[in-house]
Amino acid sequence: MSKRPPTRVVAAERVALAAIVGVFLVPVAWLVTTAYKPTRDIFSYPPTFAFEPTLDHFRGVFRYFDLVSLVQSSLIISLGSVALSLLIGVPAGYALARSKSRRAVWVAYFFLAVRMVPPVAPLIPFYLMMRDIGLLGTWWAVILINTTLNAAFVVWMMFSYFRSLPKELEEAALTDGCTLFGSFFRVALPLVVPGIVASALLCVMFAWNDFLYGSFLTSAETKPISVALLVAYGTKDISWGTLGALAHFSTIPIVAIALLLNRYFVQGLTKGVS
Amino acid sequence: MALAQGNTIESGRAPSPAAAVRRRLSFARRRQLFLLLFGAPAVLYVLVVAIWPLAQGVAYSFYDYSLLRPAARSFVGFENYRELFANDAARNSIVTTFVFTLSAVTLEFLLGLGIALLLWREGAFQRVCLALLLIPVTVTPIVVGLVFRALLAPDYGMLGYYLAHWGISPTRGFFGDPSTALGTLVVVDAWQWTPFMALILLAGLKSLPTDVLEAAEADGATPAQRFRIIVFPMLLPAVFLALVLRTMDAFRVFDIVFSTTNGGPADATDVLMIYAVKQGLQFFNIGFASAIANMMIVCIAVFSVAFVLLVRRADRRANEPAQ
Amino acid sequence: MGWRMNVAAAAAVAASLFLAPFALAQDKPYEGVTLTIASQNDQFASVMADLAPQFTEKTGATVKVDILSYPELLTKVTSDYIGDTKGYDIATMDIVWAGQFAETGWTVELSDLIKRDAAEINVDDIYPILMNALGNYGGKQVAFPFAGYANVLAYRTDLYEAAGLQPPDTMEELVADAKKLTNPTVPVYGFVANGQKGPAVAQDWMQYNAQMGGSIVDADGKPVLNSDANVKSLEVYKELFDDAAPPGAADYDWGGREESFRQGLAANMQTWSVGAAGYGDPSQSKVVGKFGIKVAPPGEGLPKKYGVGGWGLAINADIDAKQQEAAWAFIKWITSPEIHKAMNMNGASSYLRISETHDADLLAKFPFLPVIDETFMHGDGDYRPRIPQYPQIQDILGTAVNAVLVGDVEPKKALDDAQAEAEKLF
Repeated sequence: MSKRPPTRVVAAERVALAAIVGVFLVPVAWLVTTAYKPTRDIFSYPPTFAFEPTLDHFRGVFRYFDLVSLVQSSLIISLGSVALSLLIGVPAGYALARSKSRRAVWVAYFFLAVRMVPPVAPLIPFYLMMRDIGLLGTWWAVILINTTLNAAFVVWMMFSYFRSLPKELEEAALTDGCTLFGSFFRVALPLVVPGIVASALLCVMFAWNDFLYGSFLTSAETKPISVALLVAYGTKDISWGTLGALAHFSTIPIVAIALLLNRYFVQGLTKGVS
Repeated sequence: MALAQGNTIESGRAPSPAAAVRRRLSFARRRQLFLLLFGAPAVLYVLVVAIWPLAQGVAYSFYDYSLLRPAARSFVGFENYRELFANDAARNSIVTTFVFTLSAVTLEFLLGLGIALLLWREGAFQRVCLALLLIPVTVTPIVVGLVFRALLAPDYGMLGYYLAHWGISPTRGFFGDPSTALGTLVVVDAWQWTPFMALILLAGLKSLPTDVLEAAEADGATPAQRFRIIVFPMLLPAVFLALVLRTMDAFRVFDIVFSTTNGGPADATDVLMIYAVKQGLQFFNIGFASAIANMMIVCIAVFSVAFVLLVRRADRRANEPAQ
Repeated sequence: MGWRMNVAAAAAVAASLFLAPFALAQDKPYEGVTLTIASQNDQFASVMADLAPQFTEKTGATVKVDILSYPELLTKVTSDYIGDTKGYDIATMDIVWAGQFAETGWTVELSDLIKRDAAEINVDDIYPILMNALGNYGGKQVAFPFAGYANVLAYRTDLYEAAGLQPPDTMEELVADAKKLTNPTVPVYGFVANGQKGPAVAQDWMQYNAQMGGSIVDADGKPVLNSDANVKSLEVYKELFDDAAPPGAADYDWGGREESFRQGLAANMQTWSVGAAGYGDPSQSKVVGKFGIKVAPPGEGLPKKYGVGGWGLAINADIDAKQQEAAWAFIKWITSPEIHKAMNMNGASSYLRISETHDADLLAKFPFLPVIDETFMHGDGDYRPRIPQYPQIQDILGTAVNAVLVGDVEPKKALDDAQAEAEKLF
């Protein structure tokens, strides 16, 4: 970008950005305020903006939902699946990037292909498999299947990142007596940390918001919050207030993580996208 | 970018040619083994946890198998697939899904590119905007659907009421009218995923070599020219990543459709995942559901391979003169 | 020091032996047992959760109520049964699932238990229609009735008065009234019902269809979706949607139509009695004091038969004997006259016993109970056939009716196609 852009252009850009951000945040704002509106004021015709704030919905949520268990389940499932995915995905990405074989690219595409699978396809066979092993209803069942998709994603991302690292650094380390593992662990790995963080963040988000596997493979004790949200969508009535309140607990943790590590996001994706 | 070990390439002693060859050979093989070991866990894991159930799913698709009557399971060959293409509803699902995917990804790409360009400038303002824009991506898709449904309800929704009143939306509301329902879903999907697209494209923009751009500007190239000749071609890897990821996900859209229209009105938004989930998880007809899922995999694969080949060709052509 | 410890120990043992008989008397029969209940997210769910600690106090069993949405409930409960995971000991069973549960044998057959404990349960006090519909299919009692819903007409007393009309006694009058009371400029609409594709529109239409004399299956249990009566009633349903319903109704599910009535948008709505209490609750409703409840109007000249729905409690057949025993104890407890009345006093709106609809306290709070009583005395729980193929039939109808409402196809053609699809299931 040029060094001295005219202030008019900069100002115009900012106005546009602000407008866009505003538009994008309207639905979120609505959802957040719904949690504080008494039920009869959530909707009205014509729509009104004034309302008397109430904490009743939060009280209801605390009373009828085991929030601690729900959030805990979500955390265990997301973090567990991410940890496992990184554990097997990062080395695999490295292996493919450094492999001299031409088939490596196709293996990378294989992993990409795994991510194409519609979640419903392996769901029932996997469900039956878990039943036979006895893992049905536990967090492990969900972690295991989430890891498949996430690990495939991690392999693909790390494959790109590692490929863009110059080999000279590792070769230098090797010549100096470093082991093969050491050259990976102490030379290559630290250089792709932003990329790892970025991939990990995306994996956490996918795992946290997944509800198909969460709903099918867990029991009442191991249910994650993404599934509990569905409760508000009952038949006889949609308890919007409950939904708004619950949504706080399902969205804030992720937003917090994303905002805190926002820096790594761009940095991480920057280094790897080539 | 700190190096873990500040080593140089020269080492002290030069080994004898024979010894060097011997060492290099076994080293090469050791290296291969090492890489194999590194890559094996992931491959094995995916094979066991994903491919095996998938293979079973493929097998199931050749049976008339309902989990409610497991004893009545019978082999029917390609009957499920034949049913899939003979069935009007199924055929319509395929078309609907394709239309949705193409529209959503295109919209998200164009909007995302625009937003990425706006965010390209360095600054605290841009960083804050980016952070805020990521919030839609973090909201659970089911909730996204419910929120839009509430907002766009023509009788009492905060937006829908006025839109219907002023004639902008059909009287039945955007979700209630078959001609607008799918388009509305595209907008909802774009709301959630455009920031994601923008993020990937922004990352690509930020990794462009500034010296090339500055040289072009010094040479008198207009912003439009700079974009067309330099920026966009070098952005292609990012474009590729963004498009492939989104296409795969858009094809499998489910949550927002389920919580807004449930496939309706009529069959305007009956995408494949809705159809598959209904068959598999509501009627427990896993034979037929597996057939649908398998067909989806084939479609996505064809789509993606076409994509890969197309972008690789463009990528190669773009990179040739630069070498 | 050792001998002092021994004396102390001996004293403790002696003391406990002495006190043992008293301790045993206080011992709770299900101490250490945990009952997990899968409950539909209807009004009774939170009330049941609130009352559960009383059961714990009485019997020592811990009770966990897992509140689920409708689609999730069936999926999770079914996968629990198929997967033998014993996740839920008790599940609320929708009236229409009886056939499926009977065929698959997933739940405990309760006939013998009911006979054994008939006096305790006071079987005669339970409405016969509910005992049958909310759990019996083909002679097997797969669930015990728990929450009876009456299909009633909720109407706006103020709007009827202003227009000088009487609330309708027949379906024909309802249609005429609906059109007369519609005034889009206010806006107020004479009628509202579910229109959304899927279970929502299917269930609502089936109710109106039954009142107008239509039927989904014939005497042999085979589908007759495209009978003349059905086609006619679908035409009337469409007419109502076109002329008298809010514009967004074609996409309404239960939440949408309840909301529009509570907001004051609609003058007439047929609904389940369970929502009726909410209309009088100022924290939810804008039509407090302006609504009335009456029996759903049958078609002219047709016999008085009213729609009945609701939920039963089913015991998972996979769980072990002690759990089953505890589950049965819970069911008996929650459906006992005393506790069930408490549930309804707290807003569960789920009626079961004849004594309840005649109870002075309940009548004072919910004056429309006689309507529910009348509905149950002449109730029809099978207008939505409770056969094993019900989910698919419901889906077929849900697609067909919705397509008609949005103007995609003609009623006759839609039902002809639906019939063809339905026949494949038999």
